[in-house]
Amino acid sequence: MIQPQTLLNVADNSGARKLMCIRVIGAAGNQRYARIGDVIVAVIKDAVPQMPLERSEVIRAVIVRTCKEFKCEDGIIIRYDDNAAVIIDQKGNPKGTRVFGAIAEELRELNFTKIVSLAPEVL
Amino acid sequence: MGGAAISSHGLACAPPGAVPPYPRARRASAAAAAGHRSSHQLLLRSDLPAHPILCRARSQSSSSSNVNFGGGDDADKLLEDLIKQHGEVVYSLGSSPAVEADDDAECLSFAVSLAKVASEIKAADIRVLCVKRLVYWTRFFIILTAFSNAQIDAISSKMRDIGEKQFSKVASGDTKPNSWTLLDFGDVVVHIFLPQQRAFYNLEEFYGNATPIELPFDTQWQ
Repeated sequence: MIQPQTLLNVADNSGARKLMCIRVIGAAGNQRYARIGDVIVAVIKDAVPQMPLERSEVIRAVIVRTCKEFKCEDGIIIRYDDNAAVIIDQKGNPKGTRVFGAIAEELRELNFTKIVSLAPEVL
Repeated sequence: MGGAAISSHGLACAPPGAVPPYPRARRASAAAAAGHRSSHQLLLRSDLPAHPILCRARSQSSSSSNVNFGGGDDADKLLEDLIKQHGEVVYSLGSSPAVEADDDAECLSFAVSLAKVASEIKAADIRVLCVKRLVYWTRFFIILTAFSNAQIDAISSKMRDIGEKQFSKVASGDTKPNSWTLLDFGDVVVHIFLPQQRAFYNLEEFYGNATPIELPFDTQWQ
């Protein structure tokens, strides 16, 4: 359940560390909260020095992990330890070159196969 | 069913990340319910009673963890009794190699034909990687470089045509040419890069443990 003002970790090596959601744009159905696979507009609150992305930059990101339980089609429920997102550009390409941590396979069905193919572990 | 799925996709491999057995089994069974690997998974059931040797080995190991045997002969007798009683119930983890090989051969021929199409449209540095041992969600990666958006468009549209007409597989993924265009055919995933993006993402390094497939034609276009 990601909504404006929610702080998220960044699950890639793009250079940003913390994001704050400022708008949910990809949510299907419930426009108020974003869940796994939804696209948000976020602002970078914390970034690694001397990297292309800087603090207070506005970017787009895909949610890849949520603390709120995510119910899969097969009935399995996944709940992660943190809220995390992967930064993408306007065309949907990830800004980083690697994704960290486990991500859900549902991202593939939502046409984020690029993120899935950069991830080390797919649940 | 879950156990059969684990072994059919290979547990011994090191990933790009160490994928634990549990999600592998879960997703494989999920794919059996709705996904593209359904025929493969459903066929596994038919071979359950077909491996008496494996059944025996499995039942020995499972019973030895619970029962403390005294001597050699007694232990053998006890094991024989246990195998008679429970041996038929315990089924093997192994999948039928023939079914798996058939499936793999079909995917491989599809991948090679896609690579050939790309080569005809002068894509450069075509690599076909067998990533089946590393990730469970697909079997083959095709990574290739194109030099313009028009070329990317030509390659992707021709690949979609071949997939639909000859192999009846519909691609998802990018519909418009992009600096990294991805076509997802299920068991075969095609990555079409512009040269800069290919160096930036460096997928070959990430999937360095994957088995490269030799292509029957020259892949370097000068």
